Amino acid sequence: MEAVYSIIPAGVLSQVFVGLSRTTILFIVASGLTLILGVLRIPNVAHGSLYMIGAFTAFTVTKLSGGGSAGFWIALVIAPLIVALISLIAERGMFQFLYEREHLMLLLLTFAFSLVFGDLVKLVWGGEYKSVPVPHIFQGFVPLFGGLPFPLYNLFLLLAGPVVAILLYLLTNKTKMGKIARAAAVDREMVGAVGINVSRVFATVFVIGCYLAGLGGVLVAPTVSVTLGMDHNLIIEAFLIVIMGGLGNIWGALLGALIFGLTQSLGILIWPKFGIIFPYLAVVVVLLFRPTGLLKSTW
Amino acid sequence: MSRQTILGLGAGIIVLLLFPVFLPRFYVYLVSIILLYGLLATSLNLVLGYGGIFQFHHAVFYGVGAYGTTLMLTKTGLPPMLAFIVGPLASAAFGLVIGIICIRLSKLYFGMLQISLGSLVWAIVYRWYSFTGGDDGIHGIPIPEMLSSPKSAYYYTLIITLASLFVMWKIIRSPFGSALQGIRDNPVRSEMIGINVRMHQLLALVLAGFFAGVAGSLFVVVDNTVFPDMLFWTLSLEILIMCLLGGWFTFLGPMLGAAVIVALRTFVSAYTDYWALVLGIIMMLVILFLPNGILGYVEEKFKRGFMEPEIEGQ
Amino acid sequence: MLEVTSLSKTFDGFKAVNDANLAVGKGEIVAVIGPNGAGKTTLFNLITGIIKPDSGRVLFKNEDITGLPPHEVCRKRISRSFQIVNVFQRLTVFENVQISVLSREKMTWNLFTPSASLAIKETDEILESVGLLKKKNRTTALLSHGDRKVLEIAMALGGNPEFLILDEPTAGMAAEETSRCIDLIKKLSQTMGLTILFCEHDMEIVFGIANRIMVMVRGGTVIQGSCEEVRCNEAVQDAYLGGSDVCLM
Repeated sequence: MEAVYSIIPAGVLSQVFVGLSRTTILFIVASGLTLILGVLRIPNVAHGSLYMIGAFTAFTVTKLSGGGSAGFWIALVIAPLIVALISLIAERGMFQFLYEREHLMLLLLTFAFSLVFGDLVKLVWGGEYKSVPVPHIFQGFVPLFGGLPFPLYNLFLLLAGPVVAILLYLLTNKTKMGKIARAAAVDREMVGAVGINVSRVFATVFVIGCYLAGLGGVLVAPTVSVTLGMDHNLIIEAFLIVIMGGLGNIWGALLGALIFGLTQSLGILIWPKFGIIFPYLAVVVVLLFRPTGLLKSTW
Repeated sequence: MSRQTILGLGAGIIVLLLFPVFLPRFYVYLVSIILLYGLLATSLNLVLGYGGIFQFHHAVFYGVGAYGTTLMLTKTGLPPMLAFIVGPLASAAFGLVIGIICIRLSKLYFGMLQISLGSLVWAIVYRWYSFTGGDDGIHGIPIPEMLSSPKSAYYYTLIITLASLFVMWKIIRSPFGSALQGIRDNPVRSEMIGINVRMHQLLALVLAGFFAGVAGSLFVVVDNTVFPDMLFWTLSLEILIMCLLGGWFTFLGPMLGAAVIVALRTFVSAYTDYWALVLGIIMMLVILFLPNGILGYVEEKFKRGFMEPEIEGQ
Repeated sequence: MLEVTSLSKTFDGFKAVNDANLAVGKGEIVAVIGPNGAGKTTLFNLITGIIKPDSGRVLFKNEDITGLPPHEVCRKRISRSFQIVNVFQRLTVFENVQISVLSREKMTWNLFTPSASLAIKETDEILESVGLLKKKNRTTALLSHGDRKVLEIAMALGGNPEFLILDEPTAGMAAEETSRCIDLIKKLSQTMGLTILFCEHDMEIVFGIANRIMVMVRGGTVIQGSCEEVRCNEAVQDAYLGGSDVCLM
């Protein structure tokens, strides 16, 4: 046991921080998913595909702007907007006509979109691995707690998470649109009855949610190899996070992402091969005691 | 059942029995695959269309059945035929476990948790090289001699599929099946007439898991391989599409949906790498224009023919 | 037969049922009345186990049934109908009632006997008694609203109840349907000896068939007594005449 204790502290800390920066990405993507779930009641399987499109678009934008640091910042602005535009077309072109259908139909429809998006990505970008360089100012490491090297970019991610959370809080609680959306999540008919254009509210929420998926894709791009299928695992993780936090609750998504990121990174430390089991166990334990998630669900 | 239905079914079965006589080997294989996918989709529909349960990750039971059968065949010295029972039983047991964990949850929570837990099983199978062969899967599974030729594999698949379909049909017509459909239509009402909703749903999940496992064991016989993609969640949604396309409130709809999709996939894949794109577009069209599926549409037209006058004459 | 003592239930700070008391004797027809939102349906949901109470007790035939799940409450031979039509949409009229009978006979675990051969006689008798036999093969979704409300009662009867709870049995019915429904309720009480608890907005119906009346306002019991007592009670007149939608006389 002593040997274990002497190794763990440094290892644990570094794992905790890796877990936290992963949490940021998961939170950003899952908050978009939960927003759409809460207000529009759509379990959006295509959310992962939009995240993938965000990452691929970031690759292209970075490359087109010369591969330098500026490219990443341009991508950070443009790529999520492109994803938002795609989602706007999908929403106006198809989803808006189907809101009254059963959840199962909507789930399958979003799955159809994810199939189509997946193949379109294959068509446009091909099947090879792509990589996006870490922007110049975030290259290298910072020493952390006793000289443990921690990637600077991950530190940037750690800061990006709270910023997005605060912006989302302001958006949902302080703007008129946010208040209407939250009211529509609770009682759709009522909001419609008082003369608000529900359809436009829904479109906005859908687009914002998808924008977040794209943003997550751009932010993750420098840390992973951008490739087909990167959407598949992510969407499952995002699902887990939103059910753990409570469907439709943005703070729940934050809490869920924290639990998920930490159990995963610490799990890998405990049992390298099957560390992936721990976040799932966490979800089962949570739902055993709180069948509708940790925080108040809009469902 | 009317005489026409019996005659039609009889003729269908005779044609299926004769297939290997005049079809080339590849088509025999294809029809075998269609049959076992049809069985898989029908088992899903038992809980989905008849039970109203959001079984989002059905493929995991199919995979557990296939892996259970395979591991029995490759890792133990027990009689090979036993493997074809153990595989499905493993699926049923797994259905019970997932059911116990998920059944208390409301519809969408149920489906989303199930899809997540199923993905965990996939991840374990995918990584556990020493036991499951990891992402390579297991190839060249030793099949008992009497089932190893394509023809005998076909006949085995045909017989087991028909038998399973018959049993499921009996179940749907039984009081249990009636109760299950009642629960689908209105769980609160069902409770109030004395039905223990959760226990009935749990049994339905176990049964559906069992028959999915049967389909998995059939795949082992037909293809002699297993691989982790058999329990990946995208396959689950594909099976859902089969049910939807064929008609999820009809008994034979899922089989029809499976036939259409497996056949299309085989032929489209011969021309292009973009099968997913084609499937996605087909799905969108079905959801938009045929929400009750092909058989559902036919039934609707057929019923309308002599139901409407009766209502007007009320 | 049924005794409810100081039953309470709070939703998110809103006291839906607050200290409700009710006693129903064997063979009686008791009506629960009260303005909209008084908690009548919640009270029925609490008695039948659809919602668990925060406090209070429900005794049925001197047995404590507080908080039992609905399917076990049903086994005690308490059946109910719902205010908002709650039937099995995709099944036929016959099947709706048959499931209820099969459930009572504990046959729903039977996996292999065709349903079509079971409980036919009894189901037909129930349909006959409520006047739906002619429509037995029709899909429920195609029935008129009135017929569906009657089907609700038929499904409740499938449980062979001693005690029947009806939540606004005639709501939304046409005049002719209403009078048929009232005849049916009277018949169930007189010829089958059922004890009936119901709630209703139409005072004519209430005073026409109830032996006793319980008045609920804001979740609590105001009074329970004979029709005469209730009619003359001041608190009741206040509750109704002071700004509510139903006129007593």
